[in-house]
Amino acid sequence: MKKFDMYVPDNQTDLLDYLDKHQTSTQLIANGSDLINRIQRRQVQPKTLVDLTGLAELSYVKKENGTFTVGAMTTISELFRSSLFDSKYEAFREVARKFGGPSIVNVATVGGNVCSASSSEDLLPLLLVLDAQVRLRSIKGDRVMRVEDFVKGKRNIDLSPNEIMVEIMFREIDQDVKCAFEKVGMRNSLIIAFVNCAVYLKLARKTKQVEDIRIAFNRVKGKIPARAKRTEEKMRGQRLDEKYLTVAMDTLRSELELSSDFRVSQEYRLEVACNLFKRALNRCAEELVGDRVLV
Amino acid sequence: MEIGYLSKHLLKFNVNGKDYALVVQSHERLLDVLRDKLGLKGAKEGCSTGDCGICGVLMDGKLVNSCLILAIQARNKKIVTIEGIGTPEKLHPIQRAFMKWNASQCGYCVPAMILATKSLLDRNPNPNDDDIRWAISGILCRCTGYLKIFEAVKTAVAEIKEAQ
Amino acid sequence: MVTDQAAVAKLTGQQQMVYVGKSVGRFDSLDKVLGKPIYTMDTVPENALYLKVVRSKVAHALLKHVDLSQARKYPDVVAVVTAQDIPGINESAALLPDKPLFATTKVRFAGEPIAAVASYDPCVAEEAVDLVKIEYEPLPSVFSPVEALKPDSVKVHENGNIAKHMKVRKGNVEEGFRQADLIVEGTYKTPFQEPVPLEPEAGFVIPEPDGSVTCVGSMQSPFHVQTGIAKILSLRPEQVRVIQAATGGAFGPKSDEIPVDVLGMAALVAIKTRKPAALAYTRGESMIGHTKRHPFMITLKTGVKKSGKLTAWEAKLVADTGAYASLGPLVVIRACFHATGPYVIPNVKTDSYCVYTNNTMAGSFRGFGGPQAHFAAESQMDEIAKKLSMDPVDIRVLNMLRPGSLMATSQVVDEGCGLEECLSKAVKESDWYGKREKFSKMTGPKRRGLGIAILYHGNSLGPEGSDFATVHMQIDRDGTVRLRTALTEYGTGAPSALLQIAAETMHLPIEYFRLDPPDTDFCEDTGPTVASRTITIGGRGTQMVAGTLHEKLREIAAEMLQTTGTEIESIQGTYYKKSHPENSVSFKDVVDQAYAKGIGLKEVGRFTAPKCEYDPETSQGTTYLQFTYGAVTAEVEVDTETGRVQVLKMVTAYDVGKAINPISLEGQIEGGTIQGLGYAIMEEMIHNDGVVVNPNLGDYYIPTSLDIPEIKTIIVEYPGRLGPYGAKAIGEPPIVLPAPAIVNAIDNAIGVRINEIPATPDRVLIAYKRMQAGKVK
Repeated sequence: MKKFDMYVPDNQTDLLDYLDKHQTSTQLIANGSDLINRIQRRQVQPKTLVDLTGLAELSYVKKENGTFTVGAMTTISELFRSSLFDSKYEAFREVARKFGGPSIVNVATVGGNVCSASSSEDLLPLLLVLDAQVRLRSIKGDRVMRVEDFVKGKRNIDLSPNEIMVEIMFREIDQDVKCAFEKVGMRNSLIIAFVNCAVYLKLARKTKQVEDIRIAFNRVKGKIPARAKRTEEKMRGQRLDEKYLTVAMDTLRSELELSSDFRVSQEYRLEVACNLFKRALNRCAEELVGDRVLV
Repeated sequence: MEIGYLSKHLLKFNVNGKDYALVVQSHERLLDVLRDKLGLKGAKEGCSTGDCGICGVLMDGKLVNSCLILAIQARNKKIVTIEGIGTPEKLHPIQRAFMKWNASQCGYCVPAMILATKSLLDRNPNPNDDDIRWAISGILCRCTGYLKIFEAVKTAVAEIKEAQ
Repeated sequence: MVTDQAAVAKLTGQQQMVYVGKSVGRFDSLDKVLGKPIYTMDTVPENALYLKVVRSKVAHALLKHVDLSQARKYPDVVAVVTAQDIPGINESAALLPDKPLFATTKVRFAGEPIAAVASYDPCVAEEAVDLVKIEYEPLPSVFSPVEALKPDSVKVHENGNIAKHMKVRKGNVEEGFRQADLIVEGTYKTPFQEPVPLEPEAGFVIPEPDGSVTCVGSMQSPFHVQTGIAKILSLRPEQVRVIQAATGGAFGPKSDEIPVDVLGMAALVAIKTRKPAALAYTRGESMIGHTKRHPFMITLKTGVKKSGKLTAWEAKLVADTGAYASLGPLVVIRACFHATGPYVIPNVKTDSYCVYTNNTMAGSFRGFGGPQAHFAAESQMDEIAKKLSMDPVDIRVLNMLRPGSLMATSQVVDEGCGLEECLSKAVKESDWYGKREKFSKMTGPKRRGLGIAILYHGNSLGPEGSDFATVHMQIDRDGTVRLRTALTEYGTGAPSALLQIAAETMHLPIEYFRLDPPDTDFCEDTGPTVASRTITIGGRGTQMVAGTLHEKLREIAAEMLQTTGTEIESIQGTYYKKSHPENSVSFKDVVDQAYAKGIGLKEVGRFTAPKCEYDPETSQGTTYLQFTYGAVTAEVEVDTETGRVQVLKMVTAYDVGKAINPISLEGQIEGGTIQGLGYAIMEEMIHNDGVVVNPNLGDYYIPTSLDIPEIKTIIVEYPGRLGPYGAKAIGEPPIVLPAPAIVNAIDNAIGVRINEIPATPDRVLIAYKRMQAGKVK
């Protein structure tokens, strides 16, 4: 590996101060799973890293007044194991279980994941359907924005050079809401997803009307995780049955702008995105109303 | 590229029960410090990108890829490597089980596999088959096809339970 | 006289053996579970320099200008070496002298070494490599072997693009096609499979005061390395000492020119600086720079009668050997001989080509042409069965090789053929008929299927070279019995098995035995450790030498007991008089006596296998001295919504002749099966204009512990003529059949024939979609 320098701050104040004073050519490093990998692959060549691992105070999962907050330095494993997540949050466990083996989930952080902002991050689609927000902090103070707006493009986040990400927040899931996560890759472990999909479904029990639906994939337009909003629009207020699903799927097909690369073809991505969406949707519906709504 | 001053850091940590204070450079990885500064060669470099797991060591009891952790990020942590598991006179049950099942072929993944097993059993002495498979899923083995490793882990589980 | 081992096996089969046939532990297990520093990079001397290699970024180009000045000047860079620094010949090649160590005027593949930079700090060397400026003049390139075969194609080498053309001609295929009721054609494609030994290539060289060098490295064939390094350094072979360190997996790339590349570059730095020099490939460098499995394009045309009996088989195999041939010519020979699969066919015409392209190199990799040939043949057999509405098992039973039948090379199948028993046991164990019946009724997005494939695998080098093994044994004063060969351990467990054979032959406890490390100063050439030779040829050498040493000990015991050798029996370290068993001497007594009397307890012997004779134009004759046979079934679940294929269960039945160490044998079978599974559904090195696109383990997928099926292994023993106790090769066969068995199972599950492996989710899903669309029309 080529050499670089690193600043190890004493505490959060020291960190924010340093970042404010050195606004160019520094790169934050959490536990490094993504960054070191990218350095080794010659995708980035930073001059100076700034170490976040000393910020133990950013490792937490809390729930207060119906809002969850997860510290940026919380590992995927800690997220997975948090007792605050009851069966309604099964989707988090699904993400963690398919994320990778112990050595990956023990180290990869929530903040690292969100800030990596690429289609290989599994947590982002779930956070997007939960309408999660991020809290950013600089020496000048905090700001809060939606994850959706924070992730501007592939590896492009709205993080100023003097800011760090402190936590993510999302509202707890209501009784009549269910989330599901699906992922497909080349094998059963250690994979970058070809396609992954998170669905948030709020369904009226009697009428089977879609009160709210949120759909996110690792790729919607181009190569970043995003919500399929046109499809969501089409589905809100409709009854969840075969007829409307067909309409929704057509919308989804036209909404997704996917590409081919050496891993998989565009045709495959599109086909499987639709299939995973159907699967995730069905799992949610089954949980909520007790039977599969769609054939 | 200009040659600027590159910081050195004082790394204090505990490895296999012993405290160390070492001077390290920013880019040195935990793997490099273990192998080159402490002479602990058990952790191996197989891919440099965290995709194969054979650099695995235990950090505060948890399995991590030491090729992805910068040395200074391991400060104040307790590291256990394969050299901290068993001795020729008194092998750990996991090591005995690996020998019994011929689970070690070329041997390159074995230190990581043994540490992964230890981490699993320290946390969950009664793992089911799926737990075992997942616990070693981050470590690639090209020789054995994993089956004998799996049997070895099951034998170790039984032996450890019996000893208690 | 070469004893027919099959006959020997019949005799010894009656006897109770102490070690052979038992699951004895390996000599190196303890060190490995303790994580001892036994691998190359664990033992690099303190004051060594570390190399980083400058490699071409372009596939085919003239090197107009290579500017190393910035690298040479870079602080803490100690040396930079190029072809100019080679005292001897700039060559590091396996078979054909087509490959330089360092490129000079031209590069032929993206990744070809041009120079190397050395520093005490490998990070510094890496930074300096980035400062090397190279001006390329791109040349037209060829990346498709089919294109490269054409006469007007871009030439990768001056003599043309065909490195080898091998043929099988038996009978008359035109006549055979006329006799056929049905002709079936098929085209099959296989990828570059990357071996992924978990330890990337590594080696270090120590310059000795007397001008010689000591090379330590990760390798399969120490003497091949010795010859190669001597040539580069212009030294006599005796001046190049090569020691194999514990090797973390090999599978082929470490057997030929690649360790010569590694140690050659390190040696140049070592002699220039008079310091030890080490080179460890990064994973990416290993994947680009070492040899991989040859991609093949195979076209088959087969004639068959209504009954299912094969009348004619025409095959064209085109192998992409990349920029340099390595052992490609031998790979296509083996593929050529096995291109029909294990069947009786009266008329065969096979043409097998080894073709240069500007892709990265292909060479030895476990299976060596067998996997490709069988993928095509066994897929084709299922297609034929389908068209005749025959069960895939039935068509195989009808056509397969049995004792007395003739192979495609007209070699007669001898008694040592367990193919039929393998097939019937696999069929039974997999519940073939029951499951396929059940699966045919499945509905829903997930479908299951069961597929089968059978093989034959010619043992040892056969036509690939002179097959011999020289074995040293000696007994130390303390009674340690040392065995020494240049056959290397890299995970197979085969060298440990030699100790079993020695202990068995000498009637001594196995604890007395030690295996010395392969070191060219102390061993003699035993040939490469490939093609499962260790047990078959090395085992025969061991039997021979151990036998001689045993006789010597008996004679000494006889003298001590005042009788003749024929009167002596021995068991577990005790020699006693047959007539009066209480008159005995121990092994220790005999050894003491030998040392007291100055009787040498050292033996060296060479076993040479009989040569294989066949017609070079038609390949008719004897191509191998014995064959391994096998049958594998695969039960899969295909998810038609994602294209993912899960392999649930496999039955792997092999005729191994004699299982010297059952648990090691299972390990080889299981490991090879999983490598074959990877080949079937997920492994593919992808080139884009000659540049490898996925040279890392995040984008090149090998199976993890969550991907493996249940494997039931069945061992069948029909002793062969060559191996000790009739033992047959089992290192390579297990990797051959998973691909066709799995692809046949996918066809059974969803009615789709995948002609190109790996059967990735993309290929499977799209093929399924097309098929469904075709149905609707």
